Amino acid sequence: MASGSSETAAGPAAVSARSGTDRLPGAAEEESSARSLGERSHAAGPTALVLSTAPAEDGGPAAALPWEGTTVLRRLLLQLEDLEIARVRVITRPQWERLLEPSVAGLGPAVRVHASSSVSEDLRTVAEAARAGAGPVVLVHGELVTHREALAGLLVTPRIVTGILARHGGVPPYMAPRTRSTRGRVMSASSPYHATGRPNTSLLGVLRVGERDRAELIETAERLASLTEPPLPPGWEEELERKVSRWRMSLAEVAASPGGLDAEQEADPAPAQPAEVGQGPEAGDDPVPVVLSEEDEAEVALRAAILREDVVSMLLVGLVRADVHVANSFLRALFWSRPLSRAKARDTAEHFKGYDEDRVLLDSAVKGNDGFFTTFFVSPYSRYIARWAARRGLTPNQVTTVSMAIGVLAAAAFATGSRPGLVAGAVLLQVAFTTDCVYGQLARYTRTFSKLGAWLDSIFDRSKEYVVYAGLAIGASRGFGEDVWVLAVAAMTLQTARHMADFSFGTTQHEAIAAEWRPPVDQPGDGIALKRSATSVLPTSPPGVDGDGGPVAVSAPTGPSPSPLQYAEPATDVPAEPAPPFARRIVAGTARRAIAVSRALDRRGWTRWLKKILVFPIGERFAVISLAAVLTTPRTTFIIVLAWGAVAMLYTFTARSIRSLSR
Amino acid sequence: MTTTAARSRATSGPLSRLGDYRDDGPLARMVGRASGAVPIPAAALTLLSALPLIAVLAIDADDLPALGVAVAWAVIAGGLASGRPDSGRFAWAVPTLVRLVEYGTLLVFAVLAGPQAVPFCFALVAALAFHHYDVVYRLRHQGVAPPVWLARAGGGWDGRMVIGYLLLLTGAVGAGFLVAAIVLAALYVSESTVSWLRFSQPRRPAQYDDEEDEDD
Repeated sequence: MASGSSETAAGPAAVSARSGTDRLPGAAEEESSARSLGERSHAAGPTALVLSTAPAEDGGPAAALPWEGTTVLRRLLLQLEDLEIARVRVITRPQWERLLEPSVAGLGPAVRVHASSSVSEDLRTVAEAARAGAGPVVLVHGELVTHREALAGLLVTPRIVTGILARHGGVPPYMAPRTRSTRGRVMSASSPYHATGRPNTSLLGVLRVGERDRAELIETAERLASLTEPPLPPGWEEELERKVSRWRMSLAEVAASPGGLDAEQEADPAPAQPAEVGQGPEAGDDPVPVVLSEEDEAEVALRAAILREDVVSMLLVGLVRADVHVANSFLRALFWSRPLSRAKARDTAEHFKGYDEDRVLLDSAVKGNDGFFTTFFVSPYSRYIARWAARRGLTPNQVTTVSMAIGVLAAAAFATGSRPGLVAGAVLLQVAFTTDCVYGQLARYTRTFSKLGAWLDSIFDRSKEYVVYAGLAIGASRGFGEDVWVLAVAAMTLQTARHMADFSFGTTQHEAIAAEWRPPVDQPGDGIALKRSATSVLPTSPPGVDGDGGPVAVSAPTGPSPSPLQYAEPATDVPAEPAPPFARRIVAGTARRAIAVSRALDRRGWTRWLKKILVFPIGERFAVISLAAVLTTPRTTFIIVLAWGAVAMLYTFTARSIRSLSR
Repeated sequence: MTTTAARSRATSGPLSRLGDYRDDGPLARMVGRASGAVPIPAAALTLLSALPLIAVLAIDADDLPALGVAVAWAVIAGGLASGRPDSGRFAWAVPTLVRLVEYGTLLVFAVLAGPQAVPFCFALVAALAFHHYDVVYRLRHQGVAPPVWLARAGGGWDGRMVIGYLLLLTGAVGAGFLVAAIVLAALYVSESTVSWLRFSQPRRPAQYDDEEDEDD
């Protein structure tokens, strides 16, 4: 299980960290879950279908573009081999079969090139392969250039059954079709023939379908195979034309502006108004006559040709529309590209060399939606402890157990009731909290996730806090002559109730998301453009709930809610619903305005942090306990914790009630 | 310690999850079964269940018969919402309200019994909190809720409130809470441990929903 053999750009630190953790001898549970996946994969045989059907600028397959003495495709195949994906079929067009043979040479009999003459045949091949094997099926573009860790994050983790490699925001849509995600789940996807309303994420050309969803994959692939046989269903060509006309317009704009931006850049070309937004009638209906240079015309033709071959995106649309739970595995700050010309492949290789993969991995091991104290006072240094722990070969489970032990020591120190004891307890509590942050960062950095580990960490977090409450209460009666047990029980009750509110609210959110209506796959629209309610997904921030911070980052689900702003898109039928009573509309309207204000506050940096602090997350709680225990008495400590907790609870309850009323 | 029949109860969806979070005991379930569906949202019922308790505490907390009536009312009103899916807009608030009512009532009993009983109340609430977190985390990570027999053995929030009241009447809150804390902690922790030992052995296919780490 050596580190990526083709990863020339990875720093030596990354290599040692990774191989170090991979070889842990006594990492019982953590390892076993990662290993068992690997073993099972071997036994059941994961199948990778490498779609090398996208044409490059020179008319050949993009997958055959040169890369450091070999080809882009071979580089990818070596990465797949390294990730223990043994069975690989490279799907390409018959005229390119010979061109790709050198890329698979010497990779063993399980790696084969398969010629297919059309998209429809590609899809049938996918269905066949899914039917033949028993393990997960991986679909990937042959000309994909990314870090091994980016692939591993999706393909080698027990956390994801079916998922895609994704990133927030946009990539040029012909390279990476847009998707919309809520709470980490893909809610809508686009393809050459399908549009996504309010996109906030993109599909980066890798789709993994787990055993659980194999039947759906087969069914979806077969359905799409027949749909993509000409003539295409109504509205499909129009949708592709809509995309093409948008490229023409943006290319014309670039050409018109002096020193125009390179539209090929990795950066999001138009984050404010993503091109993929289902713009309904106003976009496609008045084709502006745009005159492009010969070069740009060729560019548009190439993009359309590439997009037409994008079987991965079509399958994603099919799975999402079939209600399959597709998760996002985010690229983080790792490198990703789809070179489609020799020049671009050269640039990519150049760019790739300058990448400090370990740095990126370490930075992205830090949880994105942590609280203020954790983000600014703990994570900046705890990540280096995490790296040190990884190099020492410590497992996350060991680290979380150590954190629990330190928490108990902190409680014991508090229980002495003396001032030095309180100071020692405060320091130990902070050490325990830092260690707890190290746990999560170590798990993400080394990709060692296990269900038992996650359960243990959660239970330990709660136990630490409540043991400390008990320690403070004992210390209060021993050293201060105060009986604060009532306050201790009250604080524990309040905190448990606050957590239960988070869990229950999250559960109902998940349910609402799962119940969201999805149109059948033969319709180009995803139905979201029909529902212009205020319950939209946040455009930039990652979706999801931050425990205590419920109202901050929750993206409300959008059920098929009737709204006065509805308009009809021609090719989509949405189940009609009766108009709600007038009073309810007023309430919902007011609630939506309140949510809009709250969103506006999220956009400014300091108000967003203020809201996060207000909900009193674990970092703030532990900091307050430490500080108050040092400076004041246990009684005052409990009163502060109770008061802040009560305010936080009131705030989240109000915010969630407003959210519930907006529906 | 478990019978195979009751060992695992697959959850059918989020609605039953909220039901699992409630931790209803035999009494509440009986009330829920007897009444059938009541056309009042569970959130409203749970709020209503707590009102007499709050009123008694505000007027005269030492009025034990009145307190007894209030506890009975809480079990009946709260029980009406048990055992049925709740699609109300405020369904998410129900498990939290149930916890606040339960833990709060136990604390009141301990305070009424005297300051020496309160530390034992802390122990009891800690044992209960372990179980209530355990239900959530096991649903999240194992995909399965703890077995039904465990909820019955724990008595549910309803059973614990009634027993707590009886302890208050007999003047045995301190000792009773201590014993309950020890017994319940042993029960909940050992059952959870056993479930994890069984869980990692047969290596179930991952059905992780990739939920965010929501616990801060």
